Amino acid sequence: MIRYVIRRLLQAIPLLFIISLLLFILMRNIGDPVATLGGRRMMRPEDRERLTRQLGLDKPLFVQYLYWLVGNDWTKVDLDGDGVAETQGPRLGVLRGEFGYSLMARGKLVTDLIWERLPNTLLLMVSAEVVIVLFSVAVGVYSALHQYSKIDNVVTAISFIGYSMPIFFLALASMYIFAILFKRWGLPYLPTVGMFDPEAGKTPLQVLQHMILPVFSISAISIAGYSRFVRATMLEAMDEDYVRTARAKGLPNRMVVFVHALKNASLPLVTIIGLDIPLLLGGAIVTERIFAWPGMGRLFLDHVSRADTPVVMGILMLISAAVIIFQILTDLVYAWLDPRIRYT
Amino acid sequence: MSVKKFLWTALLLTVVTSLVLSACGAPATEPAAEPTEAPAPPPTSPPPEVPPAEAKVLKMIFTQEPAALNPYYSNMWFELILHQIWNCWPWPSDDKNEAYPNLVTELPSTENGGISEDGLTITMNLRDDIVWSDGTPITSADFDFTYKMVMDPKNGVSSQNPYDKLTGLETPDERTVVMKFAEPFAPWKALFWRGMLPKHILEPVFEAEGTLDTAEWNLAPSVGCGPYVFAEWESGGFQRYVKNENYWLGAPKIDEIFIQFVPDDASQTAALIAGDADIGTFPPLTDVPALQDTGMNIMIQASGYNEGWFFNFRPEASPGMSDVRVRRAIAMGIDRDAINRDLLLGLTKAPATFWDAMPSYVPPGIKPWPYDPEAAKALLEEAGWTDKNGDGIREDAKGNKLTLVHGTTIRGIRQDVQAVAQQQLLEIGIDLQLMSQESDLFFGSYSDGAAVALGEVDIMEWSDAPYFPDPDTDYWLCDQLPTPDNPYGYNYFGCDEKLDKLSREQRTLMKAEERQAVVQEIVQYMYDNINWLGIYEDPDYWVVSSRLTGVKFSGVTPFYNIAEWDFTQ
Repeated sequence: MIRYVIRRLLQAIPLLFIISLLLFILMRNIGDPVATLGGRRMMRPEDRERLTRQLGLDKPLFVQYLYWLVGNDWTKVDLDGDGVAETQGPRLGVLRGEFGYSLMARGKLVTDLIWERLPNTLLLMVSAEVVIVLFSVAVGVYSALHQYSKIDNVVTAISFIGYSMPIFFLALASMYIFAILFKRWGLPYLPTVGMFDPEAGKTPLQVLQHMILPVFSISAISIAGYSRFVRATMLEAMDEDYVRTARAKGLPNRMVVFVHALKNASLPLVTIIGLDIPLLLGGAIVTERIFAWPGMGRLFLDHVSRADTPVVMGILMLISAAVIIFQILTDLVYAWLDPRIRYT
Repeated sequence: MSVKKFLWTALLLTVVTSLVLSACGAPATEPAAEPTEAPAPPPTSPPPEVPPAEAKVLKMIFTQEPAALNPYYSNMWFELILHQIWNCWPWPSDDKNEAYPNLVTELPSTENGGISEDGLTITMNLRDDIVWSDGTPITSADFDFTYKMVMDPKNGVSSQNPYDKLTGLETPDERTVVMKFAEPFAPWKALFWRGMLPKHILEPVFEAEGTLDTAEWNLAPSVGCGPYVFAEWESGGFQRYVKNENYWLGAPKIDEIFIQFVPDDASQTAALIAGDADIGTFPPLTDVPALQDTGMNIMIQASGYNEGWFFNFRPEASPGMSDVRVRRAIAMGIDRDAINRDLLLGLTKAPATFWDAMPSYVPPGIKPWPYDPEAAKALLEEAGWTDKNGDGIREDAKGNKLTLVHGTTIRGIRQDVQAVAQQQLLEIGIDLQLMSQESDLFFGSYSDGAAVALGEVDIMEWSDAPYFPDPDTDYWLCDQLPTPDNPYGYNYFGCDEKLDKLSREQRTLMKAEERQAVVQEIVQYMYDNINWLGIYEDPDYWVVSSRLTGVKFSGVTPFYNIAEWDFTQ
């Protein structure tokens, strides 16, 4: 097993290189980051040319990638445009732990930007994922055990409605109902945007209160989908011979359902969750935007729209690495759930 | 360790780590402790972490987060407007968009000797009571330092305009700044000194690092010169400013300003309606009635911007674009009143000229071209464009179809205008092909193959302004045509020798009446030749809570009187 993990990690290194190269080429071709630095007005040609040179964007693509990867402190750059490279390069490169500086937030390290947003995203997304897993397993198992009952039919209907609802609609509707209308009706109400009320300060209670609507928006649609999935796999598992054998042996129903049936039924769910978890790092773009939650989703959206390559590369490489690691973890969970699976 | 234990441990660690990270997290950016060589400045009180219960907190919503706070590292509107909160201009503008002295004793002019007779020297006399927020006096040395930092090639400032027009800057004493020019530069008042850099804070940084690009002050200014000082910035979340106890005009009435970044328009409206914010910016016009119903005030301030169509008369343009009769037909073939009424709820109107926000520069009698499809058709017939084959699209004598390309960015209202224009122009026999792109692609360079730079777009739409409140603009200068040698040129429209000559001439006229006459000539010429067609005015829209008093806005320096704002009891 250890050898398997090490082998997978070593295989990931060339994979990450290839991913980084492809993403870099893609990013550098989706727009000119200098084009929008003039604000509401167009930038003068001489300023644009100067900034393009100062930011190293006039270099050939492979040179820009090289500087991104290994830095440019081993060479000199021409800042004053006289054709003579006179200034030591300031960058260390990704291989030495520096993802560079943002082209938009001038002077801000990419790692600092990501580090500021990542905890907010993890808080929101992990909470949402826990809610999703708990509720979808509970609802899915209940529906499977009470197939075609009234409650099962109601849950099925709500699932179909929820699953087909666009998240921006759900988010705005929940904001309107629970924040605006409840306040208007004199009921206890929830806040609209942000992580806390400035007059109250950033306290755990404030953050928790402000999390309710975004977590609800993210999880509601996923619960609708996942619960259907759990229901289907549970129904399949409950029909298997080993479940019939377990009942015949006189095992308690709880053990039959949760130890024998659910454990086998959850294998496909583990795959889905395993694929979901690394994507948690990317945040929820729409939800974060609507609730003004300062997370990675908004960071990505703000910076990709302005072709801020260093920041976008930092986020995408983080997610790529997370996907690889969580794929390995998913394989390990498989091995735990199904003793027949062994890795060498 | 067994696989099972390993996985449970990993899962537990993930959950615990995320909770701990969110609680501790990276701290919001706070004012940088920059090294200073100032001789014993008075100690400043650190800003409070949580405001006291009785503190007056003004809550604003910005739909875009500033990228940096250094005035010279970004030109985003949401950064420029912050200057009047924490930084300072020598002459901001009031609610009539007229400049008034702030750091200077009076505005330089030829009458008071501040501008030399030949227009090549401008002298500024500074007030003797102006100080930075740490108590250090603001002197001519700060102006000199600001100029040098903008022009230093090691600093990646957004623009060196107009400082690259100076041949030199002299500071004969602490209260005098003398700007020297090679030729008279009439737009100086609108373009110079849009923010100050503190020499005593940043010079040591520049000497140590060799650049200001990575200075902490850019993102967390430890000192400023406005009624408030920067306190905190949480990326993606908010910025906080607290009152400047050393403000030479007296401490402001409101204790703290909290600016929250809410990128979604609908969310901004919801937050304003719910009372979670006191000031909002650029609400969707469809939300204005709902906001007004809740008691919010909508304040509109001209800022020089107008949404308009820029016409391409370059050789690369489609056949017909170089004929002024075709352009006039287009102007009369679009019902802009209907666009303003139906798409913008009648809250705006079509401007007649690019300079409508500066009426003194618009010749009397100029009105927007009327909607007259019959007259438009007659003009097209006169220009030789007829529909010979009955397919609804006109052709010229050589059989070229009157197919024009209209390009803009992806903003929603622009897509709506495109759709309406396409339908209306079809009625007069013009086939309008639509194109829209993200801004960074739309305004790409000639070498990037951007369609506007290559001259492949016949009509380009976006919102723009002269260097308001100055009438100067350089969009139609012939040397700004994008070419392989000048890939970033932004004259996407064409070279008109007369327009070029007049544009250059007005820039050198320091006498107001002379300049006004030349600018009026430019305005009339462009109106007659339909170089630009106004679609709707694009002023600044502010949503203001009714619990605020004393609120005024300027189109140039919006928060110019924020120190006088207060809450009603």
